[in-house]
Amino acid sequence: MSLLFAGLCGTATAADPLPPASARPVDFEQDVWPILERSCLSCHGATQQKGGYRLDDAAATLKGGDLYSPAVKPGDSAHSALVLIVAGADPDLKMPQKGDPLSDDEVGILRAWIDQGAKRPEPRAAQRGKSRHWAFQPLSHPEIPAGETHAIDALIDARLAAQAMARNPEADRRTLLRRLYFDLIGLPPAPEELAGFVADADPQAYEVRVDALLKSPRYGERWARHWLDVVRFAESHGFEMNRPRPNAWPYRDWVIRALNDDMPFGRFIKAQLAGDALGDDAATGFLVAGSWDQVRSPDPVLTANQRADELHDLVSVTGAAFLGLTVGCARCHTHKFDPILQTDYYALKAVFAGVQHGERVWGGADGRLRDQQLLEARARLQAIEARLAQFESLAGGGPPRPAVQARRNVERFAPRLARAVRLTIRATEGPEPCLDEIEVLAADDSRNVAAAAAGAKPTSSSALPGYAIHRTEHLNDGLYGNDHSWISHEAAAGWAKIEFAAPVEVDRILWSRDRLGRFHDRLATNYVVELESPDGVWQVVASSDDRDPPGGIVPKDPGPDLARLAADVRTQAERMLPERDRLLAQLPSLESQPQVYAGIFGTPETTHRFVRGDPTQPAEEIAPGGLSEFGGDWRLKMDAPDQERRLALADWIAAPENALTSRVIVNRLWQHHFGRGLVDTPSDFGSNGALPTHPELLDWLAGEFIARGRSLKALHRLIVTSATYRQSSAARPEALAADADARLLWRYPPQRLEAEPLRDTILAVTGKLDLRMGGPGFDLFEPNDNYVKVYQPKSPPGPETWRRMIYQSKPRMQLDDVFGAFDCPDAGQATPRRLSSTTPLQSLGLLNSSFAYQQAQLFAERLEGEADRDASSQVLRAFALALQREPRPRELDEAVKLIEAHGLPAFCRALLNSNEFLMVF
Amino acid sequence: MQLEPLSHAGRGLLNRRDFLRWGGTGLGGIALASLLAEKGLLAAPPVRPLIDPAHPYAPRQPQFDAKAKRVLMIFCSGALSHVDTFDYKPELVRRHDTPLPGGDQLVTFQGGQGNLIQPLWKFKPRGESGKMVSDLLPHMAELADEMCFIHSMTAKSNTHGPAENQMSTGFVLDGFPGMGCWVTYALGSECDDLPAFVAIPDPRGVPQVGPNHWNSAFLPAAFQGTAFNADKPIPHLARPATVSADRDAATRDYLKLLNDEHLAENPYDTQLAARIAAHEMAAKMQLAAPEVADFSRESTMTASLYGADAANPLTARFAKNCILARRLLERGVRFVQLFNGAYAMGEGVGNWDGHKTIQSQYDIHAPILDQPVAGLLRDLKLRGLLDDTLVVFVTEFGRMPTFQKGASGRDHNPNGFTVWLAGAGVKRAFSHGATDEFGYKAVEKVQTIYDLHATILHLVGLNHEQLSFYHNGIERRLTDVHGQVITNVLA
Repeated sequence: MSLLFAGLCGTATAADPLPPASARPVDFEQDVWPILERSCLSCHGATQQKGGYRLDDAAATLKGGDLYSPAVKPGDSAHSALVLIVAGADPDLKMPQKGDPLSDDEVGILRAWIDQGAKRPEPRAAQRGKSRHWAFQPLSHPEIPAGETHAIDALIDARLAAQAMARNPEADRRTLLRRLYFDLIGLPPAPEELAGFVADADPQAYEVRVDALLKSPRYGERWARHWLDVVRFAESHGFEMNRPRPNAWPYRDWVIRALNDDMPFGRFIKAQLAGDALGDDAATGFLVAGSWDQVRSPDPVLTANQRADELHDLVSVTGAAFLGLTVGCARCHTHKFDPILQTDYYALKAVFAGVQHGERVWGGADGRLRDQQLLEARARLQAIEARLAQFESLAGGGPPRPAVQARRNVERFAPRLARAVRLTIRATEGPEPCLDEIEVLAADDSRNVAAAAAGAKPTSSSALPGYAIHRTEHLNDGLYGNDHSWISHEAAAGWAKIEFAAPVEVDRILWSRDRLGRFHDRLATNYVVELESPDGVWQVVASSDDRDPPGGIVPKDPGPDLARLAADVRTQAERMLPERDRLLAQLPSLESQPQVYAGIFGTPETTHRFVRGDPTQPAEEIAPGGLSEFGGDWRLKMDAPDQERRLALADWIAAPENALTSRVIVNRLWQHHFGRGLVDTPSDFGSNGALPTHPELLDWLAGEFIARGRSLKALHRLIVTSATYRQSSAARPEALAADADARLLWRYPPQRLEAEPLRDTILAVTGKLDLRMGGPGFDLFEPNDNYVKVYQPKSPPGPETWRRMIYQSKPRMQLDDVFGAFDCPDAGQATPRRLSSTTPLQSLGLLNSSFAYQQAQLFAERLEGEADRDASSQVLRAFALALQREPRPRELDEAVKLIEAHGLPAFCRALLNSNEFLMVF
Repeated sequence: MQLEPLSHAGRGLLNRRDFLRWGGTGLGGIALASLLAEKGLLAAPPVRPLIDPAHPYAPRQPQFDAKAKRVLMIFCSGALSHVDTFDYKPELVRRHDTPLPGGDQLVTFQGGQGNLIQPLWKFKPRGESGKMVSDLLPHMAELADEMCFIHSMTAKSNTHGPAENQMSTGFVLDGFPGMGCWVTYALGSECDDLPAFVAIPDPRGVPQVGPNHWNSAFLPAAFQGTAFNADKPIPHLARPATVSADRDAATRDYLKLLNDEHLAENPYDTQLAARIAAHEMAAKMQLAAPEVADFSRESTMTASLYGADAANPLTARFAKNCILARRLLERGVRFVQLFNGAYAMGEGVGNWDGHKTIQSQYDIHAPILDQPVAGLLRDLKLRGLLDDTLVVFVTEFGRMPTFQKGASGRDHNPNGFTVWLAGAGVKRAFSHGATDEFGYKAVEKVQTIYDLHATILHLVGLNHEQLSFYHNGIERRLTDVHGQVITNVLA
């Protein structure tokens, strides 16, 4: 277009001189903006940008549109397309198209502004938003009206009073406890728990239950689900192939643990953005929890678009989850409603430019936890092995002993005082011999006196050079497996010696080539074991001479040879075997380097602003930084390393003075306690979002949250102990007419259970809920290795799926075929608020699915086991378990008739479908 | 099975007057309307259908007089080649086996380009209009006079996942509602015993992005498409196999009692009555859905029209899906999405993704698609359904006029492809827009998928700029912030 532009300049300057520039200094706000506002912005402003040109954004004003670029040359108004066009230089392009043309004076003002450098204070849209919008103001500290003991109630009542309305009285104890249980832990109270509460005369009876539930590990399982919705977490990639992410679950476990530990919210934020710097590796699963297109192509445009979409997902979710801002809207242009510049979007994008989807080694605190588990497992296994060794045959004394094994060999002999042990190898099954560990056990307490940790020192005849994993030190380092072993540097021969810290009486030696069972070569087949007495005399205590000839590889660890033991001794030994087997099975996974789907961090690619969000139209390079209009005007160097970028962002978002962060999270908590937030658009606090129903309450809660160390549990406690929370759900027609949704909280709004607590509750009531926490999730779909994953529901889902639904390996976009119909999010986009709809497919699923029917039968079995044989007793027990109340006479009579005619499952099937079962009042 | 409504009490308590009084007013109503429109930030106020929670599928009025009462979208998954079917390019024949100008620089989805390759099936003039259609789809070709072609379609992505997402949901990303969800959210249905939006997957499996096509995403779950076909009924429709009809009825009677008692305790809670109504509708669906999938009263003539009696079992099974589509539309189901092609078997094995050996791949797939769809279109016309049903035949993008380097198939091409419309409100025997001389790029009256969606919504009486739903900071639309009705194709 520069050619056209040259032509235009020529025409204008030659034929029709421009009005002169105004001589006085012009102020953009006072002089220029009103002209733009009146004549230009309706077509070239926030709502539309005809010809790709907009004048409400500083950079865009200069840059120009589809036809002319640049449109403004600072210092040179006579050659600025903007001036030439409004002055009528192009007969084909009359501007403005509607309304009066600009006067000569007005053109003069524009010229003067350009000639004086085309400066503008800051983007207009941004400034307007910043100055007024409620959510962007510092926290207010509202005065609490007198007369109420609880500030929440005071503020709620004040608002109700203004409408001449009032709150309901307190709910009855059964309703209240049921509500509290579902709300805090997502499961119903057991009949005994309810009875205890109803009978409890302690004035603090309710608070005692609140505290107990907040301490329950079930709390984290319930509330983590809410957060996982906000961050679009799922365990498959989405899009066309939608293959599983088998190592994504540690993030889910991290969220559960963080909530259960009441991790301060600032730390909760920082860990998710930069947990790799804080020893919280799994936490950065947040960054890559969204969908990711695995389809790769040599097409550069497609590849650029895919990368742009990946980072867009990250920028959007970060802005929405923590700040309640729709930063994603500024991808193509400066935000139309909120003070978020397009350059801010790209500054945030630059923060994440070093992040890629993928797995990395799971280290950090989680890794340390795993190391701890590993050490404990090893210690326990060694103890068991030592005890089992007491039952082994004596060496050199009697009948032949079993052949040598790569996994485990025991030499038992009469107790003897020794200061060292030596294992001399004369032949192997392959080349140089290999040993992964030698353990020598004290005769009195079976402790391993050969361990490095016990001060013992290993030496050897030689060691294979060049291999860090095969060194002499590994002989007694306490680590099993080929990766921690010794190999000699002599063909089929060599010796290994371990000197104890002090002479000690020993009676057993355990040695192995690979205790983990992966390698079977290099096994010593001809050897002799000697002990050195305190006065330096070596004496043979065992050898291969009385062993059976090597019998090839035994696929499974044969364990100790117990067959020849007397029955009572044998039982004693066999009792130790299950734990030994379990530990052996557990060790490989603890010892391998586990991976976690929590992002791969590398050198950040350069970030450019993309014109209209199009990766094929890169503009200026952008430095990593925050949202400039929200106190995030920091910028890092263009080449700042990845982790520094994410840490800087985390510090800014998590800073206590960032009022938005606190407002957003307290609103999320409020939303889940009451069904709706004080702000109804929980991930959008911008000017497009809803206004708070109770702005003072929101600010008061945010202030309290900060004052209480940003503890989520403290905030929960504050909310659920209010009388507002404890009031009944009773509906009153006149109140309904004024406020049908109870947004003013004249009653506690009843809610339908969401999909996950509904499934959990069915399992809890039937007595089948498996409360195992953490680890890989269960799969509701049949296994399938297709290139594009095919999801076929399991029917019926077996006991391995009877855990809480948060432990489902949740695939993206593929909903469970029963509970998906209960507004379960598909994790394609973030879901900060679930809808609650009612559909016939819900009814069909809960009545007829194989899961529902299976559970009805299991419920019947439970009732038969727990109640007397008569139908009445069974009905009473069923009501107590499912609805936490006694049946009404008619309910009881009809139930008995139903059971007598059609059996107990027919009744259970109805009960688990009833409205009362699904609803929380 | 009992037909009696689950609860009389529920009906009485949830009358329409109370619903309007409590559901549509008060602070809830205000909150709903408090967003953009109220602030004057949108040109036109969003459509806010008044949805009775007890009757979410009750028919609702369109914004303006609609030509089409219902929509049938036929979706060819895998990208059906336009240059081998409906987009005739004589120049492509003339320049056969020569390089595409500029093609040596061009890297498409799977890499570099070979030479231009003429259509692998011969084009012939068809019908009175003489429209050139290839021999790949001979039955459909005979109906060229019924079709309104748009030859200048463009897609945003050239990979199947995002492109299928865009064709059905308007967005290349996961997590947006399907078009059928939008339409039924606004208009409900004309049928109260079948789902309002039915997706009919291919007998070979689901399309590439599977349920993305019919997921309700952020719209209420009531408007989720229900997926079933002639082989596989609606999940959980039948009572458990070991439960007799009597026993099932006794359970339901007792459930009714429980719900009635509970409602009597909480007479003003509309959710409770809505759930009772949903049970009633589920019971009706249990009768209607098996009936709609029971073809025993269809004539043998119908079966042979569709090819349901074909020797090729896949043709016969897809033909049954087509008959099912017609039976659903006949009963007033608002939106039916019929899929041809499935991805589970891999690239091009069960779908239109003809990268490697397009000739042999399409010779397998075309007979499965051709007669059944032609039969469906003829049957709709025969029964007068085409007068108020809009048929839209789409695929996610086109294919290259070249062969891929080193292969005998065509790569993805989002720069130009063909869709066609037929039936209510659109011109017959009409072609709109054009690609260049080879069929590579749309050049004349270039249209986006947004434009296509805007046009479909227009035909059912909805303004695509007003059909929106607030989600995460934006009044989300099927057409994002784009789209213009293609007025040229309107009858």
